[in-house]
Amino acid sequence: MAGSLVETKFYLPRVRRGLIARERLAERLDRGAESPLTLVSAPAGFGKTTMLAGWLAPADKRVAWVSLEETERQPASFWTYLISALQRVVPGVGAGALPLLQAARPPIEALLTTVINELGAGPDDVHLVLDDYHLADGPDIEAGMAFLLAHLPPQVHLVISTRADPALPLARLRARGELVEIRAADLRFTRGEVTAYLQGLDLAVSDIAVLESRTEGWIAALQLVALSMRGREDVAGFIAGFAGDDRYIVDYLVGEVLDRQPADVREFLIATCVLDRLTGPLCDEVTGRPEGKAMLEVLDRGNLFVVSLDGNRRWYRYHHLFADVLLTRLADEQPEEIPELHRRAAGWYERNGEPAPAIRHALAAGDVERAAGLVELAIPALRQDRQEATIRGWLDAIPDEVVRVRPVLAIGFIGALMAGNEFADVERRLGEVSRVLAGDRASMVVVDENELARLPAAIEMYYAAFALMRGDAAAVAGHARQAIDRAAPGDHVIRAAASALLGLSLWGGGDLEAAHRAYSASVDGLRRAGHLSDVLGCSITLADIRITQGRLDEALRTYEQALLLGPELRGNADMHVGISGIAVERNDLTAAAEHLRRAEELGEHTWLPQNPYRWRVASAALRQAHGDLDGARELLHEAQRVYVGDFSPNVRPVPAMIARVLAAQGRVGEALAWAREQGLTAGDELSYRREFEHITLAKVLLASSASPDADRLLARLLAAAVAGGRTGSVIEILVLQAGRRGDLVALERALTLAEPQGYVRAFAGVEPALLRRLARQQPTWGYVRRLLDGSGSGAVKLVDPLSERELDVLRLLRSDLDGPAIARELTVSLNTLRTHTKNIYAKLGVNSRRGAVRRAAELALFH
Amino acid sequence: MSDRYEIRLQGHLGSRWAARFAPMTLTRLADGSTRLEGPVVDQAALHGLLGALRDLGLPLISVHRSQQ
Repeated sequence: MAGSLVETKFYLPRVRRGLIARERLAERLDRGAESPLTLVSAPAGFGKTTMLAGWLAPADKRVAWVSLEETERQPASFWTYLISALQRVVPGVGAGALPLLQAARPPIEALLTTVINELGAGPDDVHLVLDDYHLADGPDIEAGMAFLLAHLPPQVHLVISTRADPALPLARLRARGELVEIRAADLRFTRGEVTAYLQGLDLAVSDIAVLESRTEGWIAALQLVALSMRGREDVAGFIAGFAGDDRYIVDYLVGEVLDRQPADVREFLIATCVLDRLTGPLCDEVTGRPEGKAMLEVLDRGNLFVVSLDGNRRWYRYHHLFADVLLTRLADEQPEEIPELHRRAAGWYERNGEPAPAIRHALAAGDVERAAGLVELAIPALRQDRQEATIRGWLDAIPDEVVRVRPVLAIGFIGALMAGNEFADVERRLGEVSRVLAGDRASMVVVDENELARLPAAIEMYYAAFALMRGDAAAVAGHARQAIDRAAPGDHVIRAAASALLGLSLWGGGDLEAAHRAYSASVDGLRRAGHLSDVLGCSITLADIRITQGRLDEALRTYEQALLLGPELRGNADMHVGISGIAVERNDLTAAAEHLRRAEELGEHTWLPQNPYRWRVASAALRQAHGDLDGARELLHEAQRVYVGDFSPNVRPVPAMIARVLAAQGRVGEALAWAREQGLTAGDELSYRREFEHITLAKVLLASSASPDADRLLARLLAAAVAGGRTGSVIEILVLQAGRRGDLVALERALTLAEPQGYVRAFAGVEPALLRRLARQQPTWGYVRRLLDGSGSGAVKLVDPLSERELDVLRLLRSDLDGPAIARELTVSLNTLRTHTKNIYAKLGVNSRRGAVRRAAELALFH
Repeated sequence: MSDRYEIRLQGHLGSRWAARFAPMTLTRLADGSTRLEGPVVDQAALHGLLGALRDLGLPLISVHRSQQ
């Protein structure tokens, strides 16, 4: 999406010289500076855009302008343009939000919240103008716009220009005085303004009165009046004829203007009115004459119907009102010409590598065969850019019988339907393609021969994806294997996609080793096909599997190798986030912080859509390691707000992470409420998919002293994790069991599994007393000593450990008790307590109670 | 089954607009208004038609579902 923004949509139209200054409207607009919303609502041709452009032209105003089109009915496109326009005046705003829009279901309110906060932090006023809002307005963007409006910071002014009132709570805003409105009645030219506008024409006051009354101050009509009177001898006759005619005013006046143009201008206007956008070479193609550029400049200078789109005289469009009238004349006078004009436009766009307008014109020419061929050729690139919605849009325009004989096109449409979660018709369509493919080659129409060879494998791949949607794991695996077998040599993309589907079904079923093999095959195919960002995406899955298997070294290597693929790749930031997670587990908190910083510095173009949430999860883990549990929880809540899923099963849900922190904080009631909400109980049937949640439940139950339930659950979880080869989970479960029963055997088993991989944080919850007992039993076990010292990989270390008594004091320092109360609690004198605290402060290198508590938390001394 | 609608507009639409609004029939009335009458497939089509009239800046006088 970000790569294909149409630059002209951000162009604030330039103001023509000789524009009538409309002070009364400018004053109203200036008042809008105090209201969140300015609404300019009036039919076509009332001068809305011109008025706004004139008002906003002074250089000191910061204006984010978007000229919306129908493509912005899609929320991803709408919000991308809106945020990109803001970025042009407030650099960096929404940097984190844009990647989220690439997700299948972007969390609009969450990403708007970050944009709103960033805008609120800026010093200067910004005008955000949405022109032609009626083209985008609809249920898909309504809720987001209402949210944006309700939370707009005071320095941001929303200006909506539209032909139909937007679906926003206008009545409420009006009642609160939070809406400045400019409507048709306000935009109509007053007598004085009409006089000023027609000044050069030397008209009598009575003539002006007639014109004002006949046009009702409608500037589109007045403009045509001025054009048709230019150089006219019999002005009185024209005015009389105009006033006495009931005809549709634009139709009448356009006729008058056209009649007065030289033949070449007239013919040019009529021929090119089929075009949505005009540029010299395109016009040359359509008219068959080499004067397009010069003609457009003539029209521009003469203020004849054209609107400049870029300020450098390259692209124009006709004002819609006039284009409509011109088109109707063309249809009436030379209907047989229309298909030919569209055909020529299609050809020009096709040669200039712009398939979308080429297809639109081919369809308008009634040439569905050609359109079908163009769509077929356009699909691979659009698919790679994840613009399936664009492909989907053409499906309804091309008749079924044309699609049916074109298997390559049919498969392209199936892919687009599935990408948009439209599954109803997929199975029938797949069956149809299979039948056509099994038939005679001569009965098929194929434009893209390269794609034809891919179809047998592609069909199986889509069957596999369809089975995944239905939750039929066996069918997924079956079809995915078929797709891999049938993939043409060198068709790495299909092999990669099918392997990923196979991996997905195996992963979801808990067969991690086989899943890893399948994903590795997928990564291999993606790398060969050059889809490097997808390699990075899959690397996260590969590393996740290794972490679950307790193979941190291999997980780390996966991330590091992925980073070697190249700089500036989308997904690079996510690799750093992954490495940070492993560093936290190994208690190398400096390195963890460094990788998180790096991920942020690399910038949004290196983020996968999931990065905003993953980054917060990793930051929360780091905070927690530093003992800042409130901060960790806050970050996790943020992570939940910006969460977007991908195809992978969500095996570590954020709410479960929040419950873990709550349990660690002793906020058992809230943690139990989470379990209830998720419908988790100790007696559930266990599956890998919910293992993380069930281990969380066990922690919560232990914290809530529902221990017998927790014991039974842990025993079952352990058996399942051992059977599934999930050593990472095994370590976690054993640690909980050891803590619960003071069970040295369990602890020793966990340590033996964890030592080769350098785990540290996994043992943060173990009572130091228990570790010390083990250290006394096995004095030569260096790993245990290192854990006891809290030294880990050397990040934090206490030279002079605290005594048992000092630890008791430290725990009470964390409470709300004052000095005398703590002394009473410990049954010591206040003086003795002071000695203890002095020693503690010295050993921790702090000089306050708060400092001691914070430092102790960093060193995990409370666990 | 589609309904029939009668739409009245202010101003006279020339006959060259008939093709644009087919299959509606277009009649110019003596009071200076234009009547569009004919079948409209569904509500979405009706709103599309009203949108097209809006985009021409044609003031709408009335919309009726015709009696059959």
